[in-house]
Amino acid sequence: MKTLALAFLPLLAFSQQAPVSNRVPPPSYKDLKFPALRQIQIPKVEEFTLANGMRVYLLENHELPTMRGLALVRTGNLFDPADKVGLASMTGSLIRSGGTTTKSGDQIDEELENIAASVESGIEEGYGSISFSTLKERADEVLGTFHDVLTAPVFNQNKLEFERQQLRGGIERRNDDAHSVAAREYSDAIYGHDNPFGWEMEYATIDKITRADVEAFYKRYYFPANIMLAVQGDFSAPEMKAKVEKLFGGWTATQPPVPPFPQVNSHPKPGILVAPRTDVTQTSFAMGQLGGLLSDKDYPALEVMSDILGGGFDSRLFLTVRSKLGYAYDISSSWGAGYTRAGTFDISGSTKSASTADTLKAIFAEIRLIQTKEVSEEELQSAKDKVVNGFIFNFDTPSKTLNRLLTYRYYGYPDDFIFQYQKAVQQVTRADVLRVAKQYIDPAKFVIVAVGNPKEFGTPLSSLELPVTELDLTIPKAGAPK
Amino acid sequence: MSRPKIFALLIPLLAGASLPAQNLQEFQKRVTEFTLPNGMHFIVLERHEAPVVSFHTYVNAGSVDDPKGLTGLAHMFEHMAFKGTDTIGSANWPAEKKAMDDIERVYDQLEAERNKGARADAAKVEKLDGDVHAAVEKAQTYVVPNLYPTIIEENGGVGMNAGTAEDSTDFFYNLPANRVELWFYLESARFLHPVYREFYKERDVVREERRMRVESDPQGKLTEQMLATAMAAHPYRNMPGGWASDIENLRVKDAEKFFATYYSPGNITMGIVGDVNPVQVKTLATEYFGRLQKRPLPDPVMTVEPPQEGRKHADVISPAQPMEFVAFHRPSQYDKDDPVFDVLSSLLSGGRTSIMYRDLVQDKKLALAAGAESQFPGGKYPALFFFYLMPGPGHTAEENEKELDAVIANLQKQKVDEASLARVKTRTRAGLIHQLDDNAGLAQLLSSYYANFGDWKKLFTSLDEIDHVTADDVQRVARQYFTTENRTVALTIQPEGGK
Repeated sequence: MKTLALAFLPLLAFSQQAPVSNRVPPPSYKDLKFPALRQIQIPKVEEFTLANGMRVYLLENHELPTMRGLALVRTGNLFDPADKVGLASMTGSLIRSGGTTTKSGDQIDEELENIAASVESGIEEGYGSISFSTLKERADEVLGTFHDVLTAPVFNQNKLEFERQQLRGGIERRNDDAHSVAAREYSDAIYGHDNPFGWEMEYATIDKITRADVEAFYKRYYFPANIMLAVQGDFSAPEMKAKVEKLFGGWTATQPPVPPFPQVNSHPKPGILVAPRTDVTQTSFAMGQLGGLLSDKDYPALEVMSDILGGGFDSRLFLTVRSKLGYAYDISSSWGAGYTRAGTFDISGSTKSASTADTLKAIFAEIRLIQTKEVSEEELQSAKDKVVNGFIFNFDTPSKTLNRLLTYRYYGYPDDFIFQYQKAVQQVTRADVLRVAKQYIDPAKFVIVAVGNPKEFGTPLSSLELPVTELDLTIPKAGAPK
Repeated sequence: MSRPKIFALLIPLLAGASLPAQNLQEFQKRVTEFTLPNGMHFIVLERHEAPVVSFHTYVNAGSVDDPKGLTGLAHMFEHMAFKGTDTIGSANWPAEKKAMDDIERVYDQLEAERNKGARADAAKVEKLDGDVHAAVEKAQTYVVPNLYPTIIEENGGVGMNAGTAEDSTDFFYNLPANRVELWFYLESARFLHPVYREFYKERDVVREERRMRVESDPQGKLTEQMLATAMAAHPYRNMPGGWASDIENLRVKDAEKFFATYYSPGNITMGIVGDVNPVQVKTLATEYFGRLQKRPLPDPVMTVEPPQEGRKHADVISPAQPMEFVAFHRPSQYDKDDPVFDVLSSLLSGGRTSIMYRDLVQDKKLALAAGAESQFPGGKYPALFFFYLMPGPGHTAEENEKELDAVIANLQKQKVDEASLARVKTRTRAGLIHQLDDNAGLAQLLSSYYANFGDWKKLFTSLDEIDHVTADDVQRVARQYFTTENRTVALTIQPEGGK
């Protein structure tokens, strides 16, 4: 703070005068001197647990006359039954659209939109969420609706059929966009199609879902001890605490503790999977292997490695495949670690049909290089500088602090994980980068998915000397639309 | 407009939407505006919540300004703006400069031979083509690749990107607040000393971008065909990425000329939002950007889209599930009915209570998604109001279009109810309030509102215009513009014999 004030002092002398510059810009950006960055006060999150077990997190933020909140529920698509894949997604939508014991879904839509507020619900792979957003003056009404949606949804049958139709429409269109096909097929191939990490909802699994299934799924996971509630915005924490206690204190639903999520048990078959299509001029590809966890000891070194390989504008893949060869607009790699389940190490991009094989070869060459030779000191320093100098952007809004705390608590990570990570990145050496590249990456194990037009590939993919298999993306039919 | 008048407009208007008047006054107090003698305009908003700053460069030139036969040029220049300068990104500038000049010299010969058409000597073309490639590789040896963006990233810059639209070219990123001067250094450098380094390699990248966004994306293809069909004369008919053959023939001299014409300081507005001292900003602006020479402002596009003479139609053969766009010509954002179009699109597709969602998606389940865009592809010139329809399982585009026609006929026949109208107005106001704590978003909004309307306060006063829209206006505009002769339909159809 002191440094900054001093830096500004001579400038203030000009105050409101027409600007007169008595300096000339330095010849090089390297001559610029930056003052120390002002320290930031990390906001304090108020935490407490209701008698029914619901954990609550409050953060005052008075900048705008608004409020936002989120109920985070320990559930997820990973808990779908094998014959009813899609049940969690359906439940997540229907909690909101199906209405509550006191109001229909349409009534809720109107009431909320009349006051420019929203309540939304959804279930993702590893969590469920119900959120709200409102102007401060309408907070009581919106909190009331949020409470009803969370605690007393009724799963109207008509709305269930509507959500079913929406999900069927999603299945019908899932092969239309080449990029998402590549990403999906790659991920499914890595995790395997026979388990919750790699299976897809189908007409057959959607059609089997009944209202009773949805209600049972909701009951099993939506109970206070299984929920974290976070509220932030323009309120006083003690008042909000009293409101939350009054609203949710009487919610007595109980269930046995939710079991842990299934573990990844992946044995992908290495090789190239091709999804042929004729309506494209480009091949979309995704390639790599199973990654790891954020809590792995080597995660910081892997992140540095992946950043140097394909993280930013100065990454090797960007320089080679995009800038030097002009083969691709998008090309990147990401170590992609997960909190509690192994993520995937992804290299993805797209290139004109004719340069498909050459692009993949250029990528393999870069992988071989990072596995055989230490990265340069400049590359390592650059990767570290990005993390250190950009660190402030993890704290530039109060909501980032709240969201991070919530995420760490949800997955059982230490509150200071981000600081541990930053420190660990600083200690990564060139030898570490080489070691993790050798230890964790095995191109022989790679799965490559290419979505494109093989007739225009020019050099065939078989030139990569990996087994090539054609993917069948036909969507299994099941029954007529309801 | 003078300050007191603005307050008079804003206070009663926003009182009902719970944005306390003092907050707005507070907002305005935190804004500093100034114009450099060369015409470059700055809008600075102080937000000291965290030591970070967002920068947004709004260049009032976009793909509408691409010269004839050179579509994609504005976009190409946008890419070149990340290639550095004579001092940033070169291992040996004099040698690199010579190597780059050599490329142009050989390329000129190649072009001259090629331009002979049928009389061109194929062997000579092949030889010159090889010479161009060799010259490109020679120049490459002097490049320190991607140094410019790397400097930004190493200094903690995040959210760095740029975009070329029909009306504008935007450059933006965020920096820690202690590195404000770095932005002044780098941003002024790229406009003081642009170099066309790696031009022909980047042209391939730009060509790939078109393959990705348009050629390999059914929605991209359909959008391109809708524009090319609906717009007969105005450059809004071209997508910002340009046409393939135009991109493949772009030259350095084209980009140089484009830069000289359209990147005149008076055509550029800077939005700076965050933990800054406006006095320091003003000093730095003078010091760094004051070095740019004042140049004349470019001419706007003079072509006026003529009235449509009758219904138009475009098919795009695609194995993808059906999609349909229905477009109507509308006047520019400077027309008095501009806010009416915004209200119309909100009524039609803003939220779960909107007319199209309720009717087509939810109740009749004809569409998986359906809605309206009030202004496409730009705002500065007369453009399109368009509807999109994505038929749901078991339903056709034809059924959807028929239902859309019923929706439109209903808007023309009877007035919308006051409750729906009030809801749209409330939601528009609240929408703005929710945007007021985002540095990057504000930097974009303030600079673009200034560049487009001559006053950043239009961001707030436009709410007042929305507020004055009546049910009569909605009906009148629906009747006037949603007519058969003003209509273009673009849809995907399955190839014969299925997929």
